[in-house]
Amino acid sequence: MASIAAKRPAVRPGRGSGAVRIGIIGCGAIAEGAHLPAVLSSPEAELAAISDLNASRLQYLRRRYGLGPIAFRDYREVAGRVDAVILALPNHLHAPVGVELLSQGIHVLCEKPLALTRHECEQLCQAARSAGSILAVGFVARFFPSTELTKQLLESRFLGELQSFDYEFGSPGGWSPLSGYNLARSTCGGGVLVVSGSHVLDQMIYLFGDVDVTSHADDSRGGIEANCRTCFAATVDGRRVRGRVVLSKTHQLPNRLRLVGEHGTLDVRGSQTRSVTFLPSGSTLRHEITAAALPPAGTEPDCFQLQLHDFVNAIRTGAAPRVDGEGATRSVVLTERCYAIATALEEPWCEATLERLARAGPPPAPDAAVPQPPALASAS
Amino acid sequence: MSPERPRRVLVTGATGLIGGRLCEVMALTGAFEPRPFVHATGSAWRITRFPLDVASGDLCDRASVDRAMDGCDAVVHLARGDDAVMRRGLENVLRAAVTHRVSRFVHISSVAVYGSQPPPDSVSEAAATRPDLPYGHAKLDQEHRVLRYRRRRGLDVVILRPPNVYGPFASFTVGMVNTVRSHGVAIVDGGRNPCNLVYVDNLVEAILLALWRPEAPGQVLHVTDPEPVSWERCISDHAALVGVDVPRVAAAELVPPTRERLWRDSLRALAEGEVQRSLARIPLVRRWFHWLPEPAKQAVRARLRRREPVRRSGSPERRFRADHPFIAGQKRAVAHSSEKARRLLGYTAPVSYDEGMRLTEAWLRQAQILDVSSA
Repeated sequence: MASIAAKRPAVRPGRGSGAVRIGIIGCGAIAEGAHLPAVLSSPEAELAAISDLNASRLQYLRRRYGLGPIAFRDYREVAGRVDAVILALPNHLHAPVGVELLSQGIHVLCEKPLALTRHECEQLCQAARSAGSILAVGFVARFFPSTELTKQLLESRFLGELQSFDYEFGSPGGWSPLSGYNLARSTCGGGVLVVSGSHVLDQMIYLFGDVDVTSHADDSRGGIEANCRTCFAATVDGRRVRGRVVLSKTHQLPNRLRLVGEHGTLDVRGSQTRSVTFLPSGSTLRHEITAAALPPAGTEPDCFQLQLHDFVNAIRTGAAPRVDGEGATRSVVLTERCYAIATALEEPWCEATLERLARAGPPPAPDAAVPQPPALASAS
Repeated sequence: MSPERPRRVLVTGATGLIGGRLCEVMALTGAFEPRPFVHATGSAWRITRFPLDVASGDLCDRASVDRAMDGCDAVVHLARGDDAVMRRGLENVLRAAVTHRVSRFVHISSVAVYGSQPPPDSVSEAAATRPDLPYGHAKLDQEHRVLRYRRRRGLDVVILRPPNVYGPFASFTVGMVNTVRSHGVAIVDGGRNPCNLVYVDNLVEAILLALWRPEAPGQVLHVTDPEPVSWERCISDHAALVGVDVPRVAAAELVPPTRERLWRDSLRALAEGEVQRSLARIPLVRRWFHWLPEPAKQAVRARLRRREPVRRSGSPERRFRADHPFIAGQKRAVAHSSEKARRLLGYTAPVSYDEGMRLTEAWLRQAQILDVSSA
């Protein structure tokens, strides 16, 4: 990372006030719900352009936020008007568009996941290195105070020897991208492991360092998985520690990371981003632990503002962003390994009745070749 | 006209319980090629596990319905929603079905069209419909629209009327587990009346048959599990999964439904915690309350407070509301029969109640709705 910072060119600040001119490329739900408010509320950034293929979407955003003539259907028109962009396009477009912009010296804050494959990630990192552009990746959970606190507690061996870790994150449905890119592997790169799991994998790598997957089962039937159960092994203080990740887009799960150590259990809840809960071994007490330097609840900037500030700071100072391209590549590599060893999650309710239900279909036409359904072919 | 053996089927409401399972079964058996119609892309996780040709849009938008219908041979209409979806959405689907000359339109209605106290002759489909709740009214209105398209436009329609649909992902199942767990339901007068259940896969069998059987067009058919299951058995079986006992009460002990009273109910709504806290933040309200004489303050507080009956031991007495769906349902004495579906469609209801509950339990445990460790 030091070598990347060393190659960075002089800062290209924004106009007038010194604000960095930011463009937002891809104006879907995350852009409107998170990035646009963050840029508009930042004194360090100036919203210089927005871009989306959907003209009515651009018109809506211009009216809704009182924007000037800064909306463009072609993202290439953004290039000459900005110092940096937030790339919030469908996942499969991160690499081609990101490489093009980075190569032009435009700094990029790319929504997670960085790209669909390791190869694409490396192309993005290479483009950033060659042009001396900043490549930051939007793993916003890294900006939760609870993430940093957990890291500190682990490093200080607060739990003693770490014995296991367990992630369970799930809720039925959820985020509905306007473009519908989340409906297919070709545009999303995967299912719940990519959509929710990329945050988990990134945090796991951040907390434990060297992590490898030992097994992965999911419920994909040729499409994208809605549920998965994955086992990992991390090397912590030279010891092998086992962990499990359960993710769901059809079930409600506890939404927490649980770390079990020799001194007790630490719960890091998704809904509780300012503190963590410690349950000492052999005790019924619960301790809420908060970082000492935390501002009062409700007064701190939201995590997307913090992420933007980190990105702008990287542009201005040449410091590495909190999550850079190389760091984000590691979670994509881990995702690829999971899919490479995937087995089928057991779903007896899905399989048990199929042969009987198949009889309810129409008999094959005498002259028609009937395609063999994959499930029944393997069952027979 | 599309082929007699439809191949590609547009499934509206594909992200719901029945639509999701229907798409799964079609994809896994190869019986038909489903094209799920999806409104909210974030709700489509169950069906995007398969590499399906998903149509994304809004049923109230004619153009998106028309695009989705293009190339389809048949339709299964399962979508539910607000009044616009129930009326205009259905009209759009019916109109597009006629335009694209589909061979079959299977509409999923409900036994709710008979009302909460169905007439004794609603064992069969010939009974008069008399809905008394908004859902039943909406479903009956939809049936009339569908049948109008058969009469006027010659569309080959089939209407299926299921009762309570249970199984994996079913809100009936999850609701029953949660209600039993929170001690919100009792077995009333022995729970002898029929629960009128259909396991989701049995309903899917009926839909698959309705899509191609030549005897189906123009028919209105009950689709139920043939095996009678009492409310007592259904509730007890769910209670056994949760590991709790369910109280048994007489109908006379139930809390009758309260008639809405303008002033009292408005005041009680104001007593809800969030509203109270909001009001307390309004200086004018605080000042007005402060100016009231103490007896008036106490009277307001007493009126706002819900009074629960208290036993001598001091714990609140457990009372069950007569209008809770799982208690009101126990008054339905009729067992709707799917004999007509058996005769005309060859409906077999291949999954027994015992097997259905076993598969449901497996799902409940994997979904962590039931404790995994007690399996």
